[in-house]
Amino acid sequence: MTGPVELNGVTGAVELNGLTVLVVDDEVGMRDTLVAILEHHGYCVWSASDGETAFAAAQERVFDVVVMDIRMPGRDGVSVLQDMAAPPPQVILMTAYAMEERLRAAADAYVFAVLSKPFEVHRMLHLVARASRGEK
Amino acid sequence: MTGKWVKRWSLRPISAVILLVLAAAAAASSLLTQNFAAGQERLILRERTAEVAAVLGSAYTGTQTSLQLLGEIARSDQSDPQSFADAARAVTTTGAQGWLVTTQSGTSVRVTAAAGNGLVVGQALSGDQGTLARRALAAKGLVSGLLRDGGTVRLAFALGGAAGPGTVVWQESAISPTTPAPTGPTSPWGSLNVAIYLSDRPDPSALVVTSAKDLPVAGIQYPFRVGADTWLIVASSPRSLVGSLGQDMPWIVLVFGATTAVLMTAVVETMGRRRDHASALVEERTVALASAIAERELVQAELSRQENMAAIGRLAATVGHELRNPLAVVTNVLYLMKVGSKAGPSDPLHRHVATAEREISAATRIVSDLLDYAARRGPILAPVEVSDLVTEAFQVVPPPAGVEVVREGEPQVVEADRDQIRQALLNLITNAYDAMPRGGVLTVSTATAPGSVQITVTDTGTGMDEQTRDSIFTPFFTKKTRGIGLGLAVTKRVVEAHGGTVAVQTVPAAGSSFTLTLPVLAEMASALQ
Repeated sequence: MTGPVELNGVTGAVELNGLTVLVVDDEVGMRDTLVAILEHHGYCVWSASDGETAFAAAQERVFDVVVMDIRMPGRDGVSVLQDMAAPPPQVILMTAYAMEERLRAAADAYVFAVLSKPFEVHRMLHLVARASRGEK
Repeated sequence: MTGKWVKRWSLRPISAVILLVLAAAAAASSLLTQNFAAGQERLILRERTAEVAAVLGSAYTGTQTSLQLLGEIARSDQSDPQSFADAARAVTTTGAQGWLVTTQSGTSVRVTAAAGNGLVVGQALSGDQGTLARRALAAKGLVSGLLRDGGTVRLAFALGGAAGPGTVVWQESAISPTTPAPTGPTSPWGSLNVAIYLSDRPDPSALVVTSAKDLPVAGIQYPFRVGADTWLIVASSPRSLVGSLGQDMPWIVLVFGATTAVLMTAVVETMGRRRDHASALVEERTVALASAIAERELVQAELSRQENMAAIGRLAATVGHELRNPLAVVTNVLYLMKVGSKAGPSDPLHRHVATAEREISAATRIVSDLLDYAARRGPILAPVEVSDLVTEAFQVVPPPAGVEVVREGEPQVVEADRDQIRQALLNLITNAYDAMPRGGVLTVSTATAPGSVQITVTDTGTGMDEQTRDSIFTPFFTKKTRGIGLGLAVTKRVVEAHGGTVAVQTVPAAGSSFTLTLPVLAEMASALQ
């Protein structure tokens, strides 16, 4: 599923924290639940369903954090990470596969963290928060 | 070296038999040939001797004819002894011969006519000659005898009644019996050694003539008739009569036979050895081939098993990965339900969400097991404190209510892959928990042996029967109601990849004990199969 990057509506009465997050996953269930959770915690969340769209969006505007699946149709998460313009956003990659070569490539391109699916929501939130503060 | 020599030169039984049989046949043929040659020799000697006898016989027949003729002359010309003497001179062949006519008158016998060397007319016969005269008168034909007079010996032939009744016509010759008579082509006996006796046995005193220098002659005895008497020839041959070839034939046969025996034996032995060598080679190759085939079958079976396991592994990996996304989504959804719910803390919703989260955890663990099994990565070695691993494992899976944990042994350091060995321990510990649904004691002990460390996990649970025990390391084998049966397969593989072993002891209804033995310095067991 490809489509333009979209700004998701804030669900519920949550106070925005002013931080922007781009969620990239081709699985609609994963994408929607992540968006919902992050919005619930006050992030301004954009979403994209493939790497190409995500890359285009990252060229247009600056995100504080990108949470992106590695394995997607077309361009994969690592490829997008490698080509992101300077200054690079903090990128958290998600994977359901142990693709060691891609993980090494991601590490070379300064990935902030790698989350192995399924992961605890608290851990994901913790990483996003740290990434948004620019921690290493 | 001696052994080799013996082996090299010792005959095989069949060759030895052939050699013996052929050698015996050669010897027998040689003996037969020898006998045959000897028989031929005797036959020829007898024929020659018979010829000699025939020659002598005809000579004495001539003598008888001469005596009859002289008798007729003496009878018809009684008044003229000179005509007898003239006739006798005509048949005299040697100077030593003498011719007589004797006439019996009363008891005495006197010479009535004489010619040549010997008695004279009017002399009376005496001694041997008188006896011979009487024998001549009594006999039908020619009689013969040896007359000894001092040192001389005379051979006398006497024919009774040839010149009228009571008369005997004589021929006498002086002889020297022991002086060897010349031999040669012209002599009656040719080249034979003969001794001729005026007797039917080789009586030295009856010897008439011999061609041998040494008496008595050892040879065949051939009696023959001379007039009314039986004479004897004893003959032998100084050289072979059958010829040198006949004489040598037994030796030729023997040598030929022996050579044949040796050659045949050599051929048989060579062929036998070649055949033995070939069959030994064939046997060797057959054994090698059989073992190669067996080995190959084993390898193929192992390959096939590995292919099966690899296929299962790929399936497991695919299924595992495909399940991770849905699990992640459901985890997220549960989170959203919790945070989005306006239900109070006592609302059953929270309990249901908690149940769902537990089930998600269980499903996640199954997926992890599948992926662990499918991962097949080699151990990454680093020094590890075994008791730390045990502590970490208990942190991940704390004992459920009713299970008491006992830890024994001193800290030990091994070279191992921390994550893999911890996973192996986790599998053993959760199995132990599962084996003690009503509680019990879980003991984890460490011990050292030279070069290795042993970690033993013992429970006081349900134990296993023999059949179960034999299958627990087989992937996807499980007796549990939950789980997919990969824990122990992964444990075994991981430990073996470290060059270690897993041993199990179990007593039904009493408990089980699993012992991991890890080398202190892991020899990297060629990664994972």
